[in-house]
Amino acid sequence: MTVRIGIDIQSIEEVKDSLTRFGARYVGRLFTVAELAGCDLASPFAPRQLAERFAAKEAVLKMLEPTDIVPEWKDIEVFSSPHGCQEIVLSASAAQLAASRGLGALSVSFSHGGGVATAVVVSDVDVNDNMVRS
Amino acid sequence: MSQIDLRIRNVLEGNARLLVAANALNDDSDLYEVGLSSHASVNVMLACEDEFGVEFPESLLRKSTFQSIGSIRRALESLGIADGAE
Repeated sequence: MTVRIGIDIQSIEEVKDSLTRFGARYVGRLFTVAELAGCDLASPFAPRQLAERFAAKEAVLKMLEPTDIVPEWKDIEVFSSPHGCQEIVLSASAAQLAASRGLGALSVSFSHGGGVATAVVVSDVDVNDNMVRS
Repeated sequence: MSQIDLRIRNVLEGNARLLVAANALNDDSDLYEVGLSSHASVNVMLACEDEFGVEFPESLLRKSTFQSIGSIRRALESLGIADGAE
């Protein structure tokens, strides 16, 4: 089986600073209303949660290897289930790129520590996709 | 150096977390090569909106918009910001 992996890391303090400075404008440019539904932005945990999700979006972008058309951040939605699992949902150009790259379902894992949050995203790849390197 | 350029460099100095001084950059210096992260580019965008009183449309929310001082200036000019405008 062929897989593709994306990884990214994000400073939690930088997210906290952006939240403080730009507030709703900041989160509104990066996250959909649906993504924020379960996130209390006033919580002390919000910067870490948003940093994890931003890292996941960036990790997905790395997997998609965009060239001419770069998906918007809100085309990559990151949700947390009540059981603590995370799910990534692609739409618009992100979904189209994923299909063209032969990506299957995305699986994501978060971690944090030392002031940073990180996300790893994995997907199996359709071996018939012509973008797969031999 | 135009007033727009000066104001862009001030925005970069306060928001981009670059590894070099914004005033040391050329018009076409690649900001990502001198430390601009995707996350910091969001701050640069929002700070530009505050500085110039504009809103970047979705069509300009892409990496290439924030590639250089020149590309940021061109984006602002496309939003109606002219040199010397306050």
